[in-house]
Order: sequence, then structure tokens, then C-alpha cells
Amino acid sequence: MQRIAVIGAGTMGRVHSEAYSRIPNAELVAVCDSHAEAAKELASKYGAAAYADVGRLFEDGGFDIVDICTPTNTHLDYIKLAAQAGKHICCEKPLARTTGQAMEAVRVCEEADVTLFPAQVLRWFPEFRKLHDLIKSGAIGDPVEVRTSRCSAYPRGTDDWFADMKRSGGVVLDMIIHDFDWLRWCFGKVRRVYARGLYESGIPHTDYALVTLRFEGGVIAHVEGNWAKAGGFETSVEVAGTKGLLSFASKDSAPITIELKSKEEGKIGVTVPESPTRESPYYLELKHFVNCIEENRKPDVTAEDGMEAVRTGEAALRSISTGQPVALA
Amino acid sequence: MSDRPVVKIGIMSFAHMHAYSYAACLKELPDVKFVGVADDVAVRAEDAAGRYGVKVFKSYEDLLESDVEGVIVTSENANHRRHVVLAAQAGKHVMCEKPIATTMQDAEAIVEVAKRSGIKLMTAFPCRYHPAFVRLKQAVNSGELGELLAVKSTNQGQCPGGWFVDKKLSGGGAVIDHTVHLVDLMRYMTGAEPARVYAEIDNRMFGGDFDDTGIITVDFTNGMFATIDASWSRPKSYPFWGNVNMDVVGTGGIARMEMFAQKIDLYSDETGRHTYVYWGDDMDLRLVEAFARCVREDTPPPITGEDGLKALEVALAAYESASLREAINLLE
Repeated sequence: MQRIAVIGAGTMGRVHSEAYSRIPNAELVAVCDSHAEAAKELASKYGAAAYADVGRLFEDGGFDIVDICTPTNTHLDYIKLAAQAGKHICCEKPLARTTGQAMEAVRVCEEADVTLFPAQVLRWFPEFRKLHDLIKSGAIGDPVEVRTSRCSAYPRGTDDWFADMKRSGGVVLDMIIHDFDWLRWCFGKVRRVYARGLYESGIPHTDYALVTLRFEGGVIAHVEGNWAKAGGFETSVEVAGTKGLLSFASKDSAPITIELKSKEEGKIGVTVPESPTRESPYYLELKHFVNCIEENRKPDVTAEDGMEAVRTGEAALRSISTGQPVALA
Repeated sequence: MSDRPVVKIGIMSFAHMHAYSYAACLKELPDVKFVGVADDVAVRAEDAAGRYGVKVFKSYEDLLESDVEGVIVTSENANHRRHVVLAAQAGKHVMCEKPIATTMQDAEAIVEVAKRSGIKLMTAFPCRYHPAFVRLKQAVNSGELGELLAVKSTNQGQCPGGWFVDKKLSGGGAVIDHTVHLVDLMRYMTGAEPARVYAEIDNRMFGGDFDDTGIITVDFTNGMFATIDASWSRPKSYPFWGNVNMDVVGTGGIARMEMFAQKIDLYSDETGRHTYVYWGDDMDLRLVEAFARCVREDTPPPITGEDGLKALEVALAAYESASLREAINLLE
């Protein structure tokens, strides 16, 4: 049985806590958030202890794993605290705000001999796993050109922290970090990055980026990161190869759509498409992590993977600033 | 019936497959007389003339000596210059297939000879006439979308083969073939000019001596950035020839155009295939009509040779960027 302390009771903290509550060999024992009310509310839901002060959390101890779901710029501080306390760590993506921080996170966890698991959850999304497996099986011959797209409205986190580029890194570092990791899983090392985006535009609550990646193996990838949508969430992937084409779009993959008439006279109702699966990707991801800790195995996603995704994102941000490609090799 | 004078138009070369669509348009338009065809390849000229019931001219010179008022040049890209010069010297108006040429020197020479001869030179960018694009442009120009921030676009097709994959005749491959369409749409839609170009280009789809894959990024003078996917990445088994798609992101919202989305899915046991059957408007008809109209009414062509040249400049800068691995500034 692994005892879990979640730090950060925002959106992802709630998602992770819910998943742990259903994992047989995991027990959520503590929730910590500087917003005491948020910590209390989430902790009480699962019968865990609530903390507003992270120092107290570590003083009290009584857990094996720390799960960090705080704003990106604070990840390294909590990773260090957890590593010093000899706890294994799950850290929400991106692993850190900068490559330097990510490298330090990797180093301190190596030195403390604790596992650092970056929660690159996309690898447990069944459609992305299936796409990966199809590519690797040679279904489309050699992959040549890839397009990914990830679109949502601008996220509204606690204290609106996503809007502070110094904390979140915007759509490039927070959103398409998913695609950077998935692409590296499928196509290997990135050689060169070129990107344009609104990172430095100062337009409130709007971010958008188009990133071109060139991989060592020759694949060219185009990655869209979109925090400019009016609402809803959409992803799509297309992989063109020498012998075929893979094409996926979330908007065409919803097996159930529920349309409800408005009860108010004269009002139009809502249509909500859904793509349910038996287990959520977050559950599968965290179950894998907990099992790896229990069985003393290396997780399928390593701290280095998390660091490399940040490195790609940071290169894209630099390219947006300079207007020139950034070489990574 | 209209009492407008009939405009006499001929076609020079059927090397480009678009010639067949333009020929059908010439037959369909009420105030146009499709005079005849000439082609380097005699059998191709005979075949086309037979199909459309028009006269075969033995040579381009013969066609140009007739009472034809305008010609459509649909030869291989590298031959456009030679054919436009012939037409201009004969004082005939020209609609030239895109890309206007394969080099900036040729493009400039084409624009120059048209100017000197006083003929109308129009570049064939049919996508400007598609109703989906007309609506998109309206949404942009009305301010509905707010300030423009970015455009994501694709023009992905099946590999056409033939001279398109012969660099000497095509000037490259997918990038020169496809980039120009979207650059033109973006220039026309915004009034802004391309300022900076970066591209990753490769030939790994077919491994031939031509490019088949390209992602081109363009910064425009209005501050927006855009990417263009110019590739022959649709496999032979794809249900349609390809696409022209644009997502326009503004401060006020996003507009998505999928130009050929007006389609019906056809699943055929006869062919063993699934295909899209397009039912939207024929943009080529509006393009050819616009060319005939500017000849008839003696007005400036709605799409100019300079428009063709500006679009080509971006495609050529993309090749330069890909080989230098750096962004190319077009404004210096």
C-alpha cells in the first residue's frame, strides 16, 4: 500500500486525488494547499488530512509518495522538499518552468534515490497510445510528416496563474508539452525547433502557437497550441507516412452526444459530445506509477522524458522570441 | 440572353491538368467563345480539341495569329515565361497558371513583358473565388474576428507525378506547387505582405529528386504569423485529391475554413474504395469568368502578375530557408 500526499488542491490535484481514491494499492492520506479552504474541502472528500503549510506536511510525514499539482514555477521547490524527505514523486506536467530547473529536479531525485515521475498523461490516452502503436507497427510505412493540434479556451487556474507567463510558460509549455512528449515517444529526438506564437504579445487571456519540429530521424512535425477558442476542447493528429496516413480528430470521435432541450421557453438547449472510456487516463497513469513504486520498477515515463519535453518547449519559446530556429542536438 | 460581346479565348498547352477544367469552363460560359487549342504535344492538342469540339492550331504562333483575344497558359511552370512572352508579343491577354514561374527572374520578365505590351496578365488563383473563402474574407474584413493573430493552413494533395516531379519543369515539388495558393489567399484576405519565411522541407515521402513535404512559416507585415502545410502527403488510397484549409485566429474569435467540405461519402463495391464526391461551387468557373470579364470590359485583371510574383517569392524563400536552416527576411 502506498500512502499519497497531494500538494495543490486545484483542478489537477482534484483529478489525481479522485484517481488515487480508486487505486486499490494507494491511499490518499494528505492534501496540502496554501489555500486552506481548498485543502480542507478536497481532503475531507477522501478522509485525508488537510494542510495549509507544506513544512507541517513534511514534519508530520506518514506518506510514501508526494504528488505535486501546483503551478509550474513551484514544482522544483516541492520536488526538492520531497526528495530530501526520501519520498517518491509524481509531478504534474510540465516537470518544471525551465530546462535548468528540470535538470536540477532530475539530479536531486537521482541523488536522493527517489523516483521522479512526470505526469505526461497523454501516453495513457487510448487514442494516443493506439496511434503510437500503429506508427510503431509500420501501419503507414515510414512516418514523414506529422500534425498535432490541441485547442481549448484559455484555462482559468487558481489566482489566474496560467496568465502569468513566468509561472506557466503559456500554451507552449503548459499545453503542447503533451504533444512534445508524445512526439518524442513516437519519433525520437528533436533536432531543431521553429515557432511563432503570442507568448510575448501581452494579449490578455489569449495564447496561440504554431511550432515546427524537425526530428533526428527526419520526421517534420507541426504542432498547434490553441488557447484562443471560445469554448470546448479539441485535439487532432495526422501522421503521413510512405505507405499511408493516420488521421484522428476528437470532434469526429465522440461515440455519444447528448442534446438537451432548454426548459426555458425560447432558449436553445445544449449539445455535449462525450468520449467515455471505462477508466480515465489519469487513473491508468497513476496506477502505473503506484505499481512501479510498489514493485520497484522504473516507470514507462522517466524524469528525463519530462525534462526533454520541457527542453523542447523552452526552445520553442526562444524561437518565438528570436524569430530563428533553435538547434537542440 | 445577354447582348454582351463574346470574348474569344484559347488555351496554350494542356500540360497542367487544370487546363481541362478551364476548357470546360470556357465551354460553359455564355459570353465566351472557346476558339481553340495549341500544344507542344500534338496528340494532346488533338485529344483536347476533340473533347471540347474546338479547333486545333498547329502551333502557338498560329493560335496567337487568329482572332483570339486572350489565352490561358497552362504549360509546365518553367515554360510559362516562353509562352506568356509569345502571347504578349502578339498582343493577346493572358491568364497564367500558378506558380507564375519557377524563378524570380522569369516572374519579373513575365510581369515586365505584359506591362510593355499593354496586355492584361492575370494569375490563376481560383481559390479566391470559392464561396467558403469569400465568406472567410468577409468575416476577416468586417472585423468580426477582431485583430488577426495567426493563420494555420494546409494545401495537402496526392502526388500528381508527371512533370510536377521533374524539378527542371516544376521548379521543385510540393512546396512550389502548393505554397503559392495559400500565400495569395492570405495576402488578398489581409492586404498584408509576407515579411519573414522559415521552412522545413524534405523528400522522404517518395524519396525522389523533388520535395514532397513542407511546413512553411510566414510572418506578415500586419503582425500575424501563419503556417502553410504544402505537401503531397495524401496517399493514393485517400478519398479525395486533397484539401485547402485555413484556420484564422483573431482577438475576437476563430474562423475555420475547409474549402472542400461540401462533399458526399461514396462507398463503392465497384471500385472497392471510399471517395468524397464534391458538390460545392466550381471556383474555376468564376476564375475563368473573371478573366473573360476583364478582357470584355477592358478593366484591370482582378488578380495580377505581381500577385503571382509575390506568392512565388515566398515559395522560393521557403526553399532558401530550408537549405540555410534559418528564417529569411523578405523586407530587407
